[in-house]
Amino acid sequence: MACCTVDVRRAFVNLILVGLIAGSVYDIVTDQEHWPFSQYPMFSGAWKSRAFTWLRLFGVTADGREFPLEDNRFVAPFDQSRLPKSLRRMLETPDREARIKAALPDLFTRYEHLRQNAAHDGPPIVALRLYELEWTIDPNAANVERPDQRRFVGEVRP
Amino acid sequence: MKFVTLAVTRWNAFWFAPGSAAALGICRALFFGTLLLWQWPHDFSPWGAYSAVFWMPIWLFDTLGIPAFAPEVISSIQAVWKTALFLSAIGLFTRPAMTVAFVLGVYLMGLPHNFGQTQHFDTLVVFASGALALSRAGDACSLDAWTASLRQRGPVHWPADDWEYTWPIRFVWVAMALIFCAAGISKLRHSGLDWIFSDNLALLLQRQQYHISDGEPWTRWGLWVAQHPWIARSMAAVSVGVETLFPLALFSRTARKILVPAGLAFLIGIRALMGPTFEQFMLCYVFWVPWQHVLYKTRLSVPHTAVRGVGERSAAAAPADIDLAPGH
Repeated sequence: MACCTVDVRRAFVNLILVGLIAGSVYDIVTDQEHWPFSQYPMFSGAWKSRAFTWLRLFGVTADGREFPLEDNRFVAPFDQSRLPKSLRRMLETPDREARIKAALPDLFTRYEHLRQNAAHDGPPIVALRLYELEWTIDPNAANVERPDQRRFVGEVRP
Repeated sequence: MKFVTLAVTRWNAFWFAPGSAAALGICRALFFGTLLLWQWPHDFSPWGAYSAVFWMPIWLFDTLGIPAFAPEVISSIQAVWKTALFLSAIGLFTRPAMTVAFVLGVYLMGLPHNFGQTQHFDTLVVFASGALALSRAGDACSLDAWTASLRQRGPVHWPADDWEYTWPIRFVWVAMALIFCAAGISKLRHSGLDWIFSDNLALLLQRQQYHISDGEPWTRWGLWVAQHPWIARSMAAVSVGVETLFPLALFSRTARKILVPAGLAFLIGIRALMGPTFEQFMLCYVFWVPWQHVLYKTRLSVPHTAVRGVGERSAAAAPADIDLAPGH
């Protein structure tokens, strides 16, 4: 009886092991992602251009000054990788204007909530703007604060 | 037929050779303990406050119809999860605690990926949690084992070596190998040798300084590397080589000695030069440490301070235990 229990247990473990390997191999072969299985495509594209674009939020203070929310603390729990990609996906949909219009107030509220809870030391803002920035990569990254172009995408002013 | 028999024999030798309960117990304690320390400051509840426009469910959540709960609910879930991580680490109510840690961990760690981008820092943590939840990792180095010995009014003795203590550790090894290998294959598939021999890595290292990552690079050394093309290309070649060849670490002791530390150095390099936060992934390196030999050596050098029973059986089995993987 004990021997039978061990056999069943080992068969179960074997099933789990095969599941891990099969799930992983499937995603690798088909170049798909089924989290937590994945083909792990991060950084797999070869960069050839020195120019790139990135979506970035800017806060607007009461005196009209704009500043980039480039620190992850300003947009937590989002970060500067996930948030721009999320917004980019919205912009790629047919109803992009409605989506961005719905998304920006959430991000404004979150910024102010974090500020009021001392999660960051940014100034109070009266508006939040979304821009698409374009840079030509500088070997010393000396132009981080001075993108070549800035295209306005949307604004929220509660 | 002979091939099948050989394959089955090797499969069983790899996964089911007798292993040390103490080694698995130490892995459990360190894995859940460090995971708790890492996750302690993280608050998942704000994800529940975003409007539906941000919700872009990944396969798992979509298929099972799992929503982003309200912030208060997520807050409660993470309180239970962190308690389960703590109990799993100290080994109290170990089996149910690890099961809860796994199930709630899948939800909490998976939740952010439904908001526009799937990141890959935590998949290995999910696999490791799952393996431990199904294992007998609480049989040693746990309060459960200690209280059981108290009830029996005897000294603490770990169970005899058993296959149950081997497969969970090997599971994490294989999962890590598959992850590294997949990442290497992805680079070769999408970019070919251009990934190595072009200015790709130099541009990548420079671009990462523009505040575009989930974590800021620890240093600006990436800019220096990028200005020396042969260094950047060498690093790219080593990166792809380590990733793609990592599965060799499963089968060759020599490869393991090179590839396992190289993989860790690679992850630290990514964090230092590029930013992405692979700390959780690095926690899983505790499974590569041959704890039975650490215990064995500790016991030999400090025999009077060792807890009675620790490493006793593993010490006896140590020479054969060093490498159970086939191919030697």
